[in-house]
Amino acid sequence: MIKIFKYILLVSLTIMFLFPFFWMVVSSFKPTSEVLAIPVNILPKNWQLDAYTNLLNYSEYDFSRYFLNSIIVTFFAVLLAVILCTTAGYGFAKYKFKYNNLYFIIVLSTIMIPFQAIVVPLFILMKNLGLQNSYLGLIIPESLTAFGVFLMRQFFYSVPDEIIESARIDGASEFRIFWNIAVPMAKTAIFALIIFHSQWVWNLLLWPLIIISSPEMRTIPQAIALFSGVYFTPYPEQLAISVLACLPLLVIFVFLSKNFTKGITLTGLK
Amino acid sequence: MKYNAAIQQKGFYFVLPTLVIYGIFLIYPMLSAFHYSFFKWNMISESKFVGLKNYIRMFGDRRFWNSYYTTFHFTLISILIIIIFSFLLALLFQEKMMLKNFFQSSIFVPVILTMVAIAVVWQFMLQSTGVFSNIFLDIFGINIKWLTSKSITPYSMILVNVWKITGYYMIIFIAGLLNIPQIYYEAAKVDGASYFQRLFFITLPQLKNTFILAFVSGVIFSFAAFPQQYVMTEGGPARSTEVLALLIYKQAFEFTKFGYSSAISVAFFITLLVFSIIQFKIFQSESTY
Repeated sequence: MIKIFKYILLVSLTIMFLFPFFWMVVSSFKPTSEVLAIPVNILPKNWQLDAYTNLLNYSEYDFSRYFLNSIIVTFFAVLLAVILCTTAGYGFAKYKFKYNNLYFIIVLSTIMIPFQAIVVPLFILMKNLGLQNSYLGLIIPESLTAFGVFLMRQFFYSVPDEIIESARIDGASEFRIFWNIAVPMAKTAIFALIIFHSQWVWNLLLWPLIIISSPEMRTIPQAIALFSGVYFTPYPEQLAISVLACLPLLVIFVFLSKNFTKGITLTGLK
Repeated sequence: MKYNAAIQQKGFYFVLPTLVIYGIFLIYPMLSAFHYSFFKWNMISESKFVGLKNYIRMFGDRRFWNSYYTTFHFTLISILIIIIFSFLLALLFQEKMMLKNFFQSSIFVPVILTMVAIAVVWQFMLQSTGVFSNIFLDIFGINIKWLTSKSITPYSMILVNVWKITGYYMIIFIAGLLNIPQIYYEAAKVDGASYFQRLFFITLPQLKNTFILAFVSGVIFSFAAFPQQYVMTEGGPARSTEVLALLIYKQAFEFTKFGYSSAISVAFFITLLVFSIIQFKIFQSESTY
């Protein structure tokens, strides 16, 4: 009896959690008049692809360009994040240089700086550096994650010193030891960092809104926010572009769902 | 030995790029925020030193206090619901069942959807002719103004937030539960402890750190909420959902009051800092046991 009740509960919860996503997908195939029609029709009466094809025809919105922008920015911001976090994490974990702890505390303390609190000065700085409306202006601030440095440092502690020492005796340079020995051993942590950071960068809205003013440099979340904020934007088109924005991460999730949850427990609990 | 000491110093070069970049793009802007908060500045005319004027204005500004309250209200209620809800879900998933992975993944799906896209979808669903409002009306017979009533809309925001991130904390609690040694439960069973006794005397104390971690990360995450409010309500109706991040954005980039916006940023930063310190103290006192 309790068991049946449990399944009823789980099924209704699943419906609640999946329904908005399901509705978004099916409604993107409706004509405009059906999206908010009463009485409610959850499924479209006649399925149509118009919303998706129409997305290509907006003169003020070049969505394929925005996708390209988002992909470029996510790729390079994550790449830069991985480079900075692994090198710094390795340096902090495996060397006893002067002020090691002090530097680490300085980097770690930036965890407490909320991005929302520095957007104004950061905007002014980027403007002075001439990075407004540029990929670099998006990439650099979005690649910073003190948490990632912390994560990588914790992980590199588990690389045994003996391996590093014996490589040194064999005459390997410090960088080669890092690149050929330490990095391959930290694959799991790097992978978790990649998944989490790309998800974060892909979804960012505030920073692109501030630093990007020229239309051709918009990212996808920014474009959706602006597009849906304009009156008379057809509803199915807004939903169609939202579906497309969610797709890349969903595809990754479907293929890597085990690593996803592993990544959360790794990043969330350490 | 001397040779080794020289090698140890080389570690600095691994750390240097991060130090420089974090210094320029995180620490320097944070210090600038303090600096700018003492100026009157709109990017067009010359900036003018005004001392504490921005802060005096902020403390007397009802819009600021409203925003501060809104942010706390949104954050605390969201987090309480999310933590309890996700913990209960994790407990539910402790047992063997059919389709467990499917159920878990479904609850996790909102976590990976793009926040802006989600905001667009919920905005449609919560409109008076939207699907959620109407299904709710059909089932409960109550017509609720989800997006147009200043007493209800803050809770609509909380609803969306809960829906979005419960799955994330559920996974964290599931992992936390897996880390509790099974021996404890077996020993308790032998001693004849009931399910609730085991829950209160083993599970909850063992998960203390997980709860603290969930609470802290949840607060930091929700305190910085922005896309949802920006897309769904723009802070309305009657500024009932104008969270701090949105206010900072509006003051700077809509009203071009950079100095005043910086003062609010500093208040935002200090609030989270105080929170982190309290949090740190709690953790420290825990670890002394």
